Amino acid sequence: MGAFLNVNFIQDLLLSMVRMATPILIVALAELYSERAGLVNIGLDGIMAFGSLVGFLTCYITGDPYLGILAGAIGGVLINMVYAFCTITLGAEQIVYGMAINIFAPAIASFIYKIYFGINSSLITNTLMSAVPIPLLSKIPFLGNILFNHTPIVYFAYLLVPITYVFFNKTKAGLNFKAVGEFPKAAESLGINVIAKKYLASIICGALAGIGGAYLTTCYISTYSDGVVSGRGFIALSAVIFGRWMPGGVLLAALLFGFTDALQLRMQVMSSGTPYQLLAMIPYICTLFVLAFFGIKKAGPKANGKPYFKEER
Amino acid sequence: MNIKNKLIKILVPIVSILFSFIIGAILIASIGGDPVEAFSYLLKGAFGTTSNIGETFVKATPLIFTGLAATFAYKCGVFNLGAEGQFVMGAVASVWISTTFISIPTPLLLVVSLTSGAIAGGLWGLIPGILKIKRGLNEMIVSIMLNYIAVLFMGYLYSGPLRDGNLPQTAEVAVKLGRIFSGTRVHAGILIALVLTVILYYFLFHTSFGFKLRAVGLNPTAAEYNGFPLKKLILTSFVISGAIAGLGGSVELHGTQFRLMSGFGIGYGFDGVAIALIGQLNPIGTVLVAYLFAVLRKGAITMQVGTGMPTSVIDIIQALVIVFAVAGSALTNLPKVKQFFTNISQKSNKEVK
Repeated sequence: MGAFLNVNFIQDLLLSMVRMATPILIVALAELYSERAGLVNIGLDGIMAFGSLVGFLTCYITGDPYLGILAGAIGGVLINMVYAFCTITLGAEQIVYGMAINIFAPAIASFIYKIYFGINSSLITNTLMSAVPIPLLSKIPFLGNILFNHTPIVYFAYLLVPITYVFFNKTKAGLNFKAVGEFPKAAESLGINVIAKKYLASIICGALAGIGGAYLTTCYISTYSDGVVSGRGFIALSAVIFGRWMPGGVLLAALLFGFTDALQLRMQVMSSGTPYQLLAMIPYICTLFVLAFFGIKKAGPKANGKPYFKEER
Repeated sequence: MNIKNKLIKILVPIVSILFSFIIGAILIASIGGDPVEAFSYLLKGAFGTTSNIGETFVKATPLIFTGLAATFAYKCGVFNLGAEGQFVMGAVASVWISTTFISIPTPLLLVVSLTSGAIAGGLWGLIPGILKIKRGLNEMIVSIMLNYIAVLFMGYLYSGPLRDGNLPQTAEVAVKLGRIFSGTRVHAGILIALVLTVILYYFLFHTSFGFKLRAVGLNPTAAEYNGFPLKKLILTSFVISGAIAGLGGSVELHGTQFRLMSGFGIGYGFDGVAIALIGQLNPIGTVLVAYLFAVLRKGAITMQVGTGMPTSVIDIIQALVIVFAVAGSALTNLPKVKQFFTNISQKSNKEVK
């Protein structure tokens, strides 16, 4: 038990927490943009799966993880445009369509992988993005290593939090954006193009969710396999609820889920006697407990999940 | 509902399936394959021999169960995405019962085991239900988390306490569902599935309790104003939906797999969701789509061996069907399109007169 209280152990644990929280944070912010414009997108898991494949493939071919991330973003946007067209223009039920994306996107990802590498390919690895320590700040004892010794994607994710906060609360564009999710009729009457805003939200959401997926295969694990996302899209969804639809809250939630993930991985290494399946359950069980105790019944944008038709009265 | 709407409901999935196959063919051609050859291998794989035809029914059985679980839940307005977990927990309960209480005579043990599978699935489905009505939690997230927990729990069991021999798997269950056609692996599970379909259809559309459950799905506020016990009905829907999936897991165990091992039940939950949505949330539609999926699955393996086309082509075709079917249903509901259809039917009515 003494090993658990070691300074190095705690440092490793927190470092790993920051790293594990990153994809959840990026994807939860993706969902935040989408839901603020009234679009509940439960297809995040699927978009991430596609992003992780596109990111992996691009990184493998070019050898450049940054291009992988960029490709992941583009791939995410492409997939999410299918969702956007069907839910915004056709008015399909968002939950149902999100589910369709969750089935559709991983199927394409798996297909592309098998076509490119052959049906019976062995594990293929690519280069991972290396950490870029921030000068001076990373030299701070203890904290420096935890916070300022990461890949740029991690910094990007954490910077997104204040950016998103300022955007939604301090800029006119952001307030308009929120109006679309709260009361689209009123927004329309004020001259806001509701449909365009919803498409914009879908582009941002697709790009961020794609980056979140690509992060997994270019910064975290060096291989792609079906199911690499393993429910992170849904954990991100719960992070939005737990974070009360606020960027700061989402950050806290992502860190919490990152912590449980980091903890179970460390515990797998420390106590090899415990069956790993029981430890791997921890993040999912924690998500349930956190939601059960801190989730709230009614919150979030008021017009969330409702289709919007201009002509309808 | 009038005939026109019914016709649209039937046409949308059929057109979606056609479109998906056309895109699938283009996809195969674009990577240098021959679509005609690939699809003929597909058909050969599914219907070439008696044993192959039998396999399509074997593969359809679990899909019918998870499809029905999803159909039932959505008809009642609860979004149970946890069929996979409930399926797995049903099988876990059955494997424990039928390898522990071996002194019970075989037919009775089978009944007890199937029942406990359904109960286990129902209890696993109860958790998102309780969290929804007590804490207002989104049942989709809860049921997905429970899927991961159930699959990990099963993994723990077959590699730990219930492990049998060197491989990470449980012992084989002694009681098995009987084969019903010689020369094939078709077992009585398909009969259970079909009887269940009829019961559910009757229950949902021809009983007052079924009507109440559907009313909650259509408009919970109106149902509550009418004095329906909303929370109780929602819970009931979760439990029944979970029990259907749990029974499916139990049937799959006693009829096809006989033991738990890595990969048991994986993917059946989401397949069930797709099948239910393409089947227009109708139990009979669900059975038909589940059979189509099974045919594609069985044929895909032969296609991969024969032409080198990966089976994931078929996964894409399946996924496209759902993408088109849902978009199609939405499209036919758009005000403009509705007007268009009404105009057509009015014109044809006038012509008849």
